Amino acid sequence: MEGIFGNLAIGFVEVFKLQPVTMWGMTLQHVPFNIIMCLIGCLLGTLIGVLPGIGPVATIAMLLPVTFNLSPIAALIMLAGIYYGAQYGGSTTAILVNIPGESSSVVTCLDGYQMARQGRAGPALATAAIGSFFAGCVSTLVVAMFAPPLAEVALKFGPAEYFSLMVLGLVAAVVLAHGSLIKAIAMVILGLLLGLVGTDVNSGVLRFAFGISELADGIGFVTVAMGMFGICEIIANLEQKESREIFTSSVGKLMPSKEDWKRMIMPILRGTALGSALGILPGGGALLASFGAYTLEKKVSKYSHEFGKGAIEGVAAPESANNAGAQTSFIPLLTLGIPSNAVMALMIGAMMIQGIAPGPQVMTERPQLFWGMICSMWVGNLMLVILNLPLIGMWIKLLTVPYRYLYPSILLFMAIGVFSISNQPFDCFLMAVFGLLGYVCVKLGCEPAPLILGFILGPLMEENLRRAMLLSRGDPWVFISPSKPISMGFLIASVALLVIIAAPSLRKKREEVFVEET
Amino acid sequence: MLRLLLLAALAAGSTLAAAQAVPQWPTRPLRLVAPYAAGGPIDISARLLAAKLQESLGQPVVVENRPGAGGNIGVDLIAKGPADGYSLVMSAIATLAINPSLYPGLPYDPLKDLRHVTLLVQVPNVLVVNNDLPAKNVKDLIALAKQRPGKLDFGSGSSGSTGHLAGEMFKMMTGTYMVHIPYKGSAPALADMMGGRIHLMFDNLASALPSIRSEKVRALATTTLKRSSFLPELPTLDESGLKGFDMTTWWGVSVAVKTPDAVVERLSAEILKAMDAPDLKDRLRNMGSESPAIRTPEQFTAFVSAELKTYTELVKRSGAKAD
Repeated sequence: MEGIFGNLAIGFVEVFKLQPVTMWGMTLQHVPFNIIMCLIGCLLGTLIGVLPGIGPVATIAMLLPVTFNLSPIAALIMLAGIYYGAQYGGSTTAILVNIPGESSSVVTCLDGYQMARQGRAGPALATAAIGSFFAGCVSTLVVAMFAPPLAEVALKFGPAEYFSLMVLGLVAAVVLAHGSLIKAIAMVILGLLLGLVGTDVNSGVLRFAFGISELADGIGFVTVAMGMFGICEIIANLEQKESREIFTSSVGKLMPSKEDWKRMIMPILRGTALGSALGILPGGGALLASFGAYTLEKKVSKYSHEFGKGAIEGVAAPESANNAGAQTSFIPLLTLGIPSNAVMALMIGAMMIQGIAPGPQVMTERPQLFWGMICSMWVGNLMLVILNLPLIGMWIKLLTVPYRYLYPSILLFMAIGVFSISNQPFDCFLMAVFGLLGYVCVKLGCEPAPLILGFILGPLMEENLRRAMLLSRGDPWVFISPSKPISMGFLIASVALLVIIAAPSLRKKREEVFVEET
Repeated sequence: MLRLLLLAALAAGSTLAAAQAVPQWPTRPLRLVAPYAAGGPIDISARLLAAKLQESLGQPVVVENRPGAGGNIGVDLIAKGPADGYSLVMSAIATLAINPSLYPGLPYDPLKDLRHVTLLVQVPNVLVVNNDLPAKNVKDLIALAKQRPGKLDFGSGSSGSTGHLAGEMFKMMTGTYMVHIPYKGSAPALADMMGGRIHLMFDNLASALPSIRSEKVRALATTTLKRSSFLPELPTLDESGLKGFDMTTWWGVSVAVKTPDAVVERLSAEILKAMDAPDLKDRLRNMGSESPAIRTPEQFTAFVSAELKTYTELVKRSGAKAD
């Protein structure tokens, strides 16, 4: 324990250090430069998180050349700030206008947007900020205390384990929907199929690309999410003239009520725990965190009938989970030098250009850098919550803008965001197509969330399935062999979850039959 | 008479314009297409180079990411684009030497549609193995592979990557059989090797170096003819009995084939000047690159055509293809 405090002390000293800074030919003594960089990173992150489509990856890539002139610690503090700042900002658009800018905020749309429609956007945003803050603090502590042993756990996850985890995730996806079970399963499968578009990892063969070279790398997540959620919502809103005016005029309270506080505590705790655990897995772990947390809440909450209709638990749990996951996903990077997602890969790039080889030796050779970065995350989270709570009032004002002005701007920002990812006009058309598809789905009573999860998990699942089969030379028992207890555990959990899901509806069916007969 | 005068004036004007065209280049912003997603090593070096060129050319150099189809989309854009010296692309071993035989309908010809200006980065690959593998050197590994044919797994960043093809080359030269396990990027492959699920891989020096230094994996050899200055104690495959084994990952700058000579020369000179500047040199070195010996556009073009030949052969024999 004492070691931890010593290390944290090193970190905080580094974060708050006063140093001379030369700018535009002027040299200023005693500037808390690192903390300023942290603030800039958090601000930028919030901003790009709010702008739909413009994600942390593109922002960090563009800022990389700027960071080369900074000290390594200042550069990393700022880049990390952008990353977790974007997690905060992403929930804002999800709640206000139903656009998930990041894959982790898809589930926030489900209940967050419904809360906003009921005039409870304020409490929803506040819940997201508070949940994220709590999760950020706890998971930073987890990173500080248990990084090396947790990294060993991450290494235990091979293709078989990932595949089984994804199976569990997909089964859980069905729970996301609150309507028909069959429709939810159909949407998951449609998502899986859409995820197959693009180059096959094993053979390099193009699948379902129809000779369109823009499809060679598959369909982008942002394109699908913006279309299915954002555009679809706009179409649906424009369809009903009266009700949307009501939605925009009622603003409601800003802060959560006492009842809200009581209801959000446990989901935040559970979300944080789940997010911290899944975040350490490179390759899709952090992604599953928010979905998993939502599913868990829906199953354990006594308000489960409210889910999908504006339950505060449905915002608190996934928001805490995704922020916790964002922090703990630094563990594989800092201890093994393995990036767990595209942003982490960029951080490795930034470190290498600075002449630092990422990996376990960073902790011993450059303790200031390692602990400084961890402490900066805690400070950054505090900044973000201070920054975000007053901003809620401003965001809410945005909703009072008449919809006829609001929706063209949303459309414009979405188009910019989607275009900026790979500078292809094709992606904007594709987004429009998905908007139409989303609208058709809504009309048919099919919800987009299971489709999105299937779309994200499908390619990962296939990749790991085929890799596991290659490694086992085609032996399917590898997933439930005693030598792979983790994989077996996930599969057993999936079966159990399936039974739980299927049981009530089976019962209902039987009751219906019974009613008809009498 | 008037017509003649006019013609003469026009002719004089056009020769004047032609003479001035070169010293006037560049008069507007340049675009440097990076045909991969933002943040990869090629994108980072494009951004580093753009910042330097901007200073020396006095015009903005805008990096534009055009990912897709293994980099082919971005390269094609420049190959078919205006040959005015304002459109540049980061070309690489994948798009110039490997993809032509990997993708059957490649829309451009790497030699006929592009002019190769400067080779920017050359990074060796290293043969790394799982720590628990009994093989302590290349000879042991060959013996092990012969003793257990089809039992060893080698990972790579993707099907058709230099890591994959280096493995295929290794198999061909040693007459062994190992199973190729493709990943999406070399980081997950390295993680699986540390976790003991695959036995070996050929990885780019820059991405493997941290794990080698922290002894999470063991390096057996480099794939270049010369030892790497990053790991001077590490033998080369050539020294270890695989005579002539020489594979690097490289990338540089290319333009459309009809770009005027004078522009290409100026551009090449400016890029070389930027590469020789101590700060950029240091940063490219941090990416695992030794300063390439190939410097002029002619040398680079000759190098591309030699590499194209080598990899066409190798891809054909390895049976890898993208359809």
